[in-house]
Amino acid sequence: MNVYTDTPKMPSWLKKGLPDSKTAKELSRYLEAGCVETVCMNSRCPNITECYSAGNVSFLILGKICTRNCLFCAIGNGRPEEIDPDEPVAVAKAVSGLGLKYAVITSVTRDDIPDGGAGLFADVVKAVKKASPETTVETLTPDFNGSLKAIDKVIKAGIDVFSHNMETVARLYPQIRPDFDYSRSLDVLRHAASSGSVVIKSGFMVGLGELEEEIGGLLRDIKDTGCAFLTIGQYLRPKNSRLEVKEYIRPGRFRDMKEEALKLGFKKVASGPFVRSSYRAGEFFL
Amino acid sequence: MKVILPELGEGVEEAVISSWYFSEGETVGKDEDLVELVTDKAAFNVPSPASGVIKKILCREGNTVKIGDALAELE
Repeated sequence: MNVYTDTPKMPSWLKKGLPDSKTAKELSRYLEAGCVETVCMNSRCPNITECYSAGNVSFLILGKICTRNCLFCAIGNGRPEEIDPDEPVAVAKAVSGLGLKYAVITSVTRDDIPDGGAGLFADVVKAVKKASPETTVETLTPDFNGSLKAIDKVIKAGIDVFSHNMETVARLYPQIRPDFDYSRSLDVLRHAASSGSVVIKSGFMVGLGELEEEIGGLLRDIKDTGCAFLTIGQYLRPKNSRLEVKEYIRPGRFRDMKEEALKLGFKKVASGPFVRSSYRAGEFFL
Repeated sequence: MKVILPELGEGVEEAVISSWYFSEGETVGKDEDLVELVTDKAAFNVPSPASGVIKKILCREGNTVKIGDALAELE
């Protein structure tokens, strides 16, 4: 155990080499100057230097304050900021300025806005596609309270990949994602898949206290929606006020889960301790 | 010479010393792992910048250190 908390001691497979931060730092300064936010920075992602250095960026739109309170997430909740009408232009400028081949656009959940922010998602996608038609665009969305109209709005904006994360098994939703609903999240994926025009992606974390047989059920539920791409990663506590890690899952188990998912019919699976939803997303897709 | 905590990644400002691999008075080689640090989301080995004898360990296990802080003195 870690002597400072009840969290188990961080195992050797979560060790990273010292990074060469030069390229990542330049990219970070560029994004700051362009007034755009990333989930990479706001979630304190451990892969940020590696991803930034390889030109993988996940933009965070609709502000930095979430209206929901998931107990694994680094992003603060509360009363959100006003929507920035210049956000589509700012994100599009950053994507083209950096020459990104793949861009992930994600957001906080905005239950305070009637369309949940789907309109701004669509505007950002359209602006990015207009400025960088060759760039593959993935949206990683909240559940829009299950609004099919909102999901359609995002898909019709011209995305290539629609992503919505399941995050954990059904039993742990009330403790870990109290404002989300397991079935509703599956419905989001199912409806997006029914459009037939985009690739569907989802992801979840392990190490939150889920059981092995529950993972099997989660994999089948996600597959049944029509989802093709999947990411599985270790939950890592972003700050002291968040849930403690229940277990560090061994790399061998990640490999087994990947094989199980591929057997079920997922087309692509990234599974490993440091895998995140958007980890090296461009390479994963392209 | 002083062993300085190098950058551990974009946005990382501090880390906790989890293990020293050497004690004061012991000899460490250049690039040999000297100390392990943990952040909330990863662990890192910091290698020794030079060969030498560890004269003084300036930050103990459990201490929180900032990027650029001196961790030890080598001679």
